[in-house]
Amino acid sequence: MKKSPTKDSTKWFGARLPRKEDTRLVTGKGKYIADFVLPGMLHAVFVRSEVAHAHIRGIDTSEAEAMPGVVAVYTGESLKSQMKSMTQKVLIPNLPAQYPEYWALATGKVKYHGEPVALVVARDKYVAVDAAEAVAVDYEELPVITDAEVALKPGATVIHDDATSNEIFAMTFTGGDTIEAQNENDAEVDKIFREADVVVSERFKVHRTGVTPLEPRGALCDWSETDGLTAWITTQRPHIDRLALVDILDIPPEKVRVVTPRDMGGAFGIKAPFYRENVIIAHAARDLGRPVRWIESRYECQMNVGQERDQVNYMEIAASKDGELLAVRNRGIANVGVGLVGVYWGFVMPFLGAIELPNAYTWRKGDVKLHCAVTNKTSNTPSRAFGNYPTRFALERAIDMAARKIGMEPSEVRRKNLIPELPYTSVTNDFYDSGDFIKVWDNLMAQIDLAEFRKEQAAARKEGRYLGIGFACGVELSGVASELMVPMENQPGYGSATVRVEPRGALLIFCGDAPSGQGHETTTAQAAASVLGIDPGDVVTTTGDTGTTPFGSGSIGARYGAVGVSAVAKACEQIKAKMVRVLAHDMEIKAETKDFEFKNGEIVYLLDPSKRKAFKDVAERIIMSPINLPEGEDGGLETTAFFESDVPMICFNADCCILEVRPETSEWKIKRWVTSEDVGNVINPMVVDGQMHGAIVHGLSNAIFEEYVYDEQGQQLSADFENYKIATAADVPDFELTYASTPCPHTPLGTRGIGEGRPASVSGALTNALCDALEPFGVEITELPIRPDRLWKKVQEAKAG
Amino acid sequence: MFPAPIREYHRPSSIAEALSVIAREDVGEAIFLAGGQSAMQAIKSRMLQPDCIIDLQAVDAIRGIRQADGALEIGAMTRYVDIAENVALDGPFAALRDAASHIGDRQVRNRGTIGGSLCWNYVAACMPTVVLGLGGVCHLVSLKGERSVPADDFFLGPLTTAREDGELLSAIRFAVPVKRSGSAYRKWGLVTDALPVVGVCVNVSLSGDGRCTAARVSLTGLPDGAQRSTSAEDALLNSDCAPEVLRSAMNAAADSVDAQSDGSASADYRRQLIRTLGAEVAQLAVDRAKR
Amino acid sequence: MKTITVTVNGAVYEETVSERMLLVDFLREQLALTGTHVGCTYEGVCGACTICLDGEAVKSCLMLAVQADGHSITTVEGLAGDKLTPLQQAFIENHGLQCGFCTSGILMNMSEFLEKNPNPSDDDIRHGLIGNLCRCTGYVHIVKAVRAAAAVGR
Ligand SMILES: Cc1cc2nc3c(=O)[nH]c(=O)nc-3n(C[C@H](O)[C@@H](O)[C@@H](O)COP(=O)(O)OP(=O)(O)OC[C@H]3O[C@@H](n4cnc5c(N)ncnc54)[C@H](O)[C@@H]3O)c2cc1C
Ligand code: FES
Ligand code: FES
Repeated sequence: MKKSPTKDSTKWFGARLPRKEDTRLVTGKGKYIADFVLPGMLHAVFVRSEVAHAHIRGIDTSEAEAMPGVVAVYTGESLKSQMKSMTQKVLIPNLPAQYPEYWALATGKVKYHGEPVALVVARDKYVAVDAAEAVAVDYEELPVITDAEVALKPGATVIHDDATSNEIFAMTFTGGDTIEAQNENDAEVDKIFREADVVVSERFKVHRTGVTPLEPRGALCDWSETDGLTAWITTQRPHIDRLALVDILDIPPEKVRVVTPRDMGGAFGIKAPFYRENVIIAHAARDLGRPVRWIESRYECQMNVGQERDQVNYMEIAASKDGELLAVRNRGIANVGVGLVGVYWGFVMPFLGAIELPNAYTWRKGDVKLHCAVTNKTSNTPSRAFGNYPTRFALERAIDMAARKIGMEPSEVRRKNLIPELPYTSVTNDFYDSGDFIKVWDNLMAQIDLAEFRKEQAAARKEGRYLGIGFACGVELSGVASELMVPMENQPGYGSATVRVEPRGALLIFCGDAPSGQGHETTTAQAAASVLGIDPGDVVTTTGDTGTTPFGSGSIGARYGAVGVSAVAKACEQIKAKMVRVLAHDMEIKAETKDFEFKNGEIVYLLDPSKRKAFKDVAERIIMSPINLPEGEDGGLETTAFFESDVPMICFNADCCILEVRPETSEWKIKRWVTSEDVGNVINPMVVDGQMHGAIVHGLSNAIFEEYVYDEQGQQLSADFENYKIATAADVPDFELTYASTPCPHTPLGTRGIGEGRPASVSGALTNALCDALEPFGVEITELPIRPDRLWKKVQEAKAG
Repeated sequence: MFPAPIREYHRPSSIAEALSVIAREDVGEAIFLAGGQSAMQAIKSRMLQPDCIIDLQAVDAIRGIRQADGALEIGAMTRYVDIAENVALDGPFAALRDAASHIGDRQVRNRGTIGGSLCWNYVAACMPTVVLGLGGVCHLVSLKGERSVPADDFFLGPLTTAREDGELLSAIRFAVPVKRSGSAYRKWGLVTDALPVVGVCVNVSLSGDGRCTAARVSLTGLPDGAQRSTSAEDALLNSDCAPEVLRSAMNAAADSVDAQSDGSASADYRRQLIRTLGAEVAQLAVDRAKR
Repeated sequence: MKTITVTVNGAVYEETVSERMLLVDFLREQLALTGTHVGCTYEGVCGACTICLDGEAVKSCLMLAVQADGHSITTVEGLAGDKLTPLQQAFIENHGLQCGFCTSGILMNMSEFLEKNPNPSDDDIRHGLIGNLCRCTGYVHIVKAVRAAAAVGR
């Protein structure tokens, strides 16, 4: 990037700075995994299970092996002696669940359509596909279970031989840690329900959907006897992948380096787990002594990853007739698929969804229980709005249904029950650190004239036109503090950064978390430059290379704006303090950091501004001429900081959707989509807007178009973009984003992490608006996806009485 | 995925040359390649594994839109974009543009051809439906000679046509209808401009006093692919094409078809779309006829 | 194998390719022009591989390399001369990209689109973008960038 457009370094924080990433990306010079080539590189293609559940009777690889250009074919049994299973401690949460043992390639059984069964390595990728087709697998089919409620029935076929049942995880999230306390709590909840004026009780179902970054996964592994393994992997968390490769392949830890390509074509959660494919590619590279690359096809990607949500919630809420929300009771039944995926095991998402279920409301009591069932579908993998999508839909719908029964505006019911003051601990023991929900809500309502809308709506109905308005909101994670990360994922929650000042005054920053389009190079530069008063153009950030970056748990859960940037700021403060110590010493004054201002490339002594020195000169002095330093001071200007907030942190948003439904076909058109957001202090508003747009469209696309479809035999029918439809530009509206932010008091720059959880509230606002529009027919949506045909059917049913 | 091995690639510049390659005995499985917007999908997924590809891009004789012998002739290699941008295709031929301008996306329209779409005859496709609705005639040539097959006999069900191995579709001809004719096509898909979950084409001719003297109605998105609805046509014929007549004609169409339920829409909803979308399309066709 | 002559971004290449090689692989792997991306298996829906063939936007994953023989191709690498085009500039200024994976294809499609539609409405732009999926941006900033580029063009 050239020099930044504004000269005043105090304006860089919060400026709409064009991104440093973009020049290379708009000229086709980005470097994504498929762009990496090494001399002698071989191409790998997986053979994947064609059935959902079967014993593998045998695998015939002879024809494939005989094909010219084929270098190796691996099968599960042939690899068992060369590596450990995937069920390693580093990949297992500290949560009481069943963790079935499984191997990088299927052994004995296949358990879902698409499971990796064999790997072909060839000199040419076209030949590798030819050979993969020639691998013959003999399957003895077993009964297939695709439905979670069926999987949980007594007597159901248990999918994992080493599990006692298909319920791999179950938990009560309310009432305390002991059964007695929980029972007592449940009894109190029962009492509230018995005595409540209004009770809503409904089965809400959300389909299997999730994320599909435009770039699928991939890995390129290189082995050298002396240096060990270098693995370029499309991963959000290279440091965790490194540990997993060390443990599973039994390679000395100093000999594994994992690098996330600087450019990653989106991730949204699917590149957060540790996957079995990486292990096999690394093994093949080690075994063959040549670089091996695997680039996932869209087909494989859709079949294996990005599937989440898939949950039934039996939800009840109790309310008083004046609109007070009293208690929430939920039985979540999550279909976590086969559950074989490192770090998440399919159930960690619904686990978090249950914790965050109470959302922004002051329930007196709650009874929240979750049952996670394994089935013969691919594992749930994290998808933006991690775990929250199904529960938010259920709760936000249930609140509207309660409001209708009470006869109050749904927006008023929400306003009345919003948590008035933070910090707050929810009935599921979720801690909300800071913010002002009421301010955000009132800001939303100020953007729309509800009374006027109701008039318009009434007039339109007389003409046979159906307008609707719907609301929803969401409390979402802003980073995940160690307090939750350690139990949930067996990993730390702190952010980390190394900041190195180089002798000419440029800043090199190293972060372990690997971005995938969020613009970390830019926001990091803006944050660091604003602390040190230098030009963001002089800051270069390296991400996701375990060889150079400090340990970080990865770009997940909106960590960067919360803890990542905070670590950068903290490190910069340490640099600043050292520069001041040396400078004050050189100027022969006694001063503290606050007595100096770092601005526009200079360090100025505030009490006597004639005393000033260029930032780069001080840097060069400390790095290159470390003589006559203050006592106890070393030369060099580099530091690594770890930032952990003392409390878990959140961000908050509210949505309003206004739409019109065409009665003949139940098609709808969104007329306005207005939001109000608390995103804390903003580093780059353009980037924040972009995160919101992407997230809301993601939420809409999930709710309407996207669905991973399986037939009864567990065959996946949606493994391409022809059948898994994603919203195009012509299918979604523009958005009116507004902000009513409160700086986060727990981060040095007041920033919050944003964007991850943001899609969760979208389906609520959409479906509430649809139901509001069709209120004359008494339509209540309880299932997603919602599509015109389904809505039309509901209207017909309602009309028929 | 990647295509299976292909032995030969040819790019003939004349019909004769194209026919001589496909007729060769040693050629193995040979296919014509037009825009590739369906064929390449099938080749990449290995549903098709041709040994020989005969690329029709350079056969200029079968590209373009012209008036000939009182008929409109559209060369098989005419692309969607060329049809969409040809403003002369209005009134009786407007349905061609309605369809062509909403097939897939810009990139697909820059490449895909009318001939390829007809020969492929996908179960839910726009052009077969429109050509059926407009009563087009398909001209086929092979080394054995030429023949003309009316659309009614050309489309034999999903992915099957009357075209025989070795035959090349050269052009589609449409008799230029009487004055006061109009046609229209619309489709409904889950996302904008996607393959039709339901597509409706209506083509009417009116007498001076507004009576319907000829009507063709065709539908797509149903299990049997592009098909005519004679019940709708009967209802339109000799009527005054008043809005309620159009509605009842499309109701008749909806009631008489065999519809399927799938992830995109239920059978009932497909019928409802035929009713509502159909009535709009019919109105548009009538309006165009009156213009 | 077949020898083909293709002009790519103004340079003439004579290359030998196998008949089955996809055009997108030829560009990416044989010519090392990796700015053109692949997001589909066989279906040709995502648009990340869009290039201009004789000036028109097409999906290079739905073509064979041999089909490009004798033709002229522009890829994203060939858009900018000494400086970025107004469209590229507008994408940067309006944050029209996040991960950038879809961006090359969008730039190629929209550069041809703007030539044909110098004065597009937002609806025109959105309709023109159907052949390019973007998972990151929600399209808002993309539409804005195209609109801004159109204004510069006028
Ligand atoms: C992303 C995408 C979206 C799409 N959306 C739509 C849509 O909305 N509506 C719709 O109707 N279609 C849609 N399609 C399909 C598209 O219309 C194709 O069916 C069409 O372009 C095929 O024409 P083609 O020229 O590309 O033919 P090709 O794919 O090249 O050929 C198709 C078949 O016809 C044969 N063939 C071609 N020309 C001749 C000839 N002259 N003589 C004999 N045989 C011949 C070929 O051998 C092949 O079997 C879409 C396709 C894509 C990729
Ligand atoms: S890769 Fe060509 S359209 Fe997706
Ligand atoms: S910017 Fe990531 S897919 Fe468009």
